[in-house]
Amino acid sequence: MTAVRPYIEFAKVAFSREATYRFEVFTSIGSLLVRVYLFRMVWTALYFHNAGIRALTLQEAITYSTVALLMSLVMDIDQTRLLVSKLEDGSIATDFMKPIVVPLYFFSDGTGEVVFHAATIVPSLLLALLIVHIQVPSPVVLVVFFLSFALGYFVGLLMNFVLNCIAFWTLEIQAMQLIVTWITDLLGGEVIPLVFFPPVLQSFIYILPFAAMYSTPLLIYVGVITPDEYLRVLLLQAMWIVIFAIAAVFMWRFGSRRVVVQGG
Amino acid sequence: MSTLEIWADVYKQYWRINFLTALEYRANFLVWFGFTFIYHATALAALWIILREFPVMNGWTFGEMAFLYSLWMLAHALNNTLFLTVGDVPEHVREGEIDRLFIRPLNPLFQVLTTPQQIFPDELVLAILLFILATIWSNPIIDIWFVIFVPLVVIGGALIDFSINLMIATCAFWFVKVDALRWVAFQLEQEFTRYPISIYTKGVRLVLTFLLPYAFMNYFPATFFLDKTEDALHFPPQIGLLSPLVGLATFAVAYSFWRVGLNHYESVGH
Repeated sequence: MTAVRPYIEFAKVAFSREATYRFEVFTSIGSLLVRVYLFRMVWTALYFHNAGIRALTLQEAITYSTVALLMSLVMDIDQTRLLVSKLEDGSIATDFMKPIVVPLYFFSDGTGEVVFHAATIVPSLLLALLIVHIQVPSPVVLVVFFLSFALGYFVGLLMNFVLNCIAFWTLEIQAMQLIVTWITDLLGGEVIPLVFFPPVLQSFIYILPFAAMYSTPLLIYVGVITPDEYLRVLLLQAMWIVIFAIAAVFMWRFGSRRVVVQGG
Repeated sequence: MSTLEIWADVYKQYWRINFLTALEYRANFLVWFGFTFIYHATALAALWIILREFPVMNGWTFGEMAFLYSLWMLAHALNNTLFLTVGDVPEHVREGEIDRLFIRPLNPLFQVLTTPQQIFPDELVLAILLFILATIWSNPIIDIWFVIFVPLVVIGGALIDFSINLMIATCAFWFVKVDALRWVAFQLEQEFTRYPISIYTKGVRLVLTFLLPYAFMNYFPATFFLDKTEDALHFPPQIGLLSPLVGLATFAVAYSFWRVGLNHYESVGH
């Protein structure tokens, strides 16, 4: 238990640090609500003017977008970005001298941040419910949704970690990270449900890891992924976690060796 | 040397430095160019996917939506090329560098706009290419009005964009940290300009027309050029041609506010 102790403290510090930026939290909730409202207007306009049977009903589309936005409060946090700033100012060298596992330190710092932002989901959800009506699925579906959300979260976390490790070689990765973020938002189904993509594109996208982040939990939530498919999609998400975890270990091992060779 | 000549000379030097730095950091430039390209490409891809599934949005086809987007992109890219450094004002205030602007015998805003960066008009080039494509897709009537007014509307749109950024930057004289505000305004701009404003409720349309006149960057001009009959606020279509005037008016307001901000800052006496 004592081994875990410092990491809990790191997380607590990060939590209080985030809590000091109260204005930022209010604006992020505010902008989220504006977007919830925007999506409702966009979907309504689209369904109103285009008859036809679709993979999602209007109500499901609104629910999908609203839940996606709430998920993004947590998903969009780059939990290991401390790595990049530490590489930039060189302070990573002293971290290596401390009796801690450095990646775990970054992870705990990010966890504190994530826990804080997860707490902001509750008020956001309540306010969002005032603006739009969203569907609430059965408890069983909700449990599977949260499980899938957690798996999706770890896919994103590990992918970010792998990306951040690139900074060991290049230092400047901000532009590249934003590019990956936009591609993830689009191909992961955050902006538009993947079921609306052209079929040819869909079969291609489902081979990529992005769908494991947003699309899978969201399609479980709105009921497009049915109970008999749960096991398959959850295993697929788990598979991506394993793949990215292996990549993360390799990247960290080779990357951190570079720091030692350079002498910090 | 007359004042105007000095301004022109400073401006020429400023662009020389911009180009030289962009040339020096070529790899960095290429990465940021990829960034700009992917940003607009994903936005257009999203539009295309949505309009493939739902063929019309309030009577607008994909080609027309692309035209709407490209008008916004032109104005926004022009703003980014000419006026991007206004976003650094909060940082200048934080670091105390703003004091330097008062000492030099040049207009402070002009000095802000000529702080060398790594600016390259790559986004503007992309915007022009997209505009040509979107014009082919959406088939507007290309007459003398089109040729005269497209550039004017783009300049007006850039002024609107710039003025709103300037007002936000000016808030830094009071609040110092305005990052969140900037982020929200930026998000509102990019998301609310993407669709015809007729899909929004009346209140939102009024805000986008009179309070933060983003609708004059693309929606009103596009309805005129594309000869759309639907209209969000029952204005005649020619209202779209007023963009340059709206741009000047917003700039006048923003500049007055900037002056108030400067005076306020001096009175605190940092």
